[in-house]
Amino acid sequence: MTDGIFIAIGIFTLLCGSSVILCKSPVYSAFSLILSFFGLAGLYILLESPFIAVIQVLVYTGAIVVLFVYVVMLMNPNSSGAYRNWIFMIVSAFLAWAVSLYLLKALTLGVAPAVGGAHALSLKEVATLLFTKYLWPFEILSIFLVVMIVAVFALAKQSKETPNE
Amino acid sequence: MSNFSSVYWTQFIAIALIGLGMVGFLIRRNAIVVLMSIELMLNGVNLLLIEAAHRSGSADGTMLVVFIITIAAGEVAVGLGILLNLYRIKHSSDTELYKELQG
Repeated sequence: MTDGIFIAIGIFTLLCGSSVILCKSPVYSAFSLILSFFGLAGLYILLESPFIAVIQVLVYTGAIVVLFVYVVMLMNPNSSGAYRNWIFMIVSAFLAWAVSLYLLKALTLGVAPAVGGAHALSLKEVATLLFTKYLWPFEILSIFLVVMIVAVFALAKQSKETPNE
Repeated sequence: MSNFSSVYWTQFIAIALIGLGMVGFLIRRNAIVVLMSIELMLNGVNLLLIEAAHRSGSADGTMLVVFIITIAAGEVAVGLGILLNLYRIKHSSDTELYKELQG
């Protein structure tokens, strides 16, 4: 029963993912991306990670895709052709096929049986881990975010001085 | 959900997402959709990590995904900032026109 739901949500995610890369308009791509992220959140819930599912919906669909839509609105979305020429298509299809096959083989060969101690990670456990075992990555991440804020400000400021060709 | 078949399904879905992102990255000309394809690849990796964390019963994979999502948000912000600057210079989001970036 759960397997059926899992496979259905997975196929939904993959269909939305393929419509991201196939839709000619970037706006449709962005909305397909939202649906794909919701499908992934469903998969995370089925994999007993509700915290990550909430983060996925909040950060990805709430922040990242909104940013994408905002930039699409600022730009002229149809100012470029949709796809590259057919050589790129054939090469990329072959490359993706080869890499996927390699990954699938490497991962399914190394699948360990389930330990069985899996349980849903509660918010309290995540917070405790964040301030004990993962304290240093957490602090470095905060510095990283500050650096990124400064970088985005520098980019936005510089663009006013950029001469228009 | 910890039986063997669903493990294979998760890996199949995750790897298919990575492959889709790779194809989109290579065949699309619009720079915004190229960034979206990168997001698809990142989500495939996240799914693999969550599945591994669920199977092994440890919290490491979950915490790694939290960090990856944070970095992905920052990466998109900086990437779209650069893209907007490029758009102001070139008046187009076509990656074919950004060829002089290769030096």
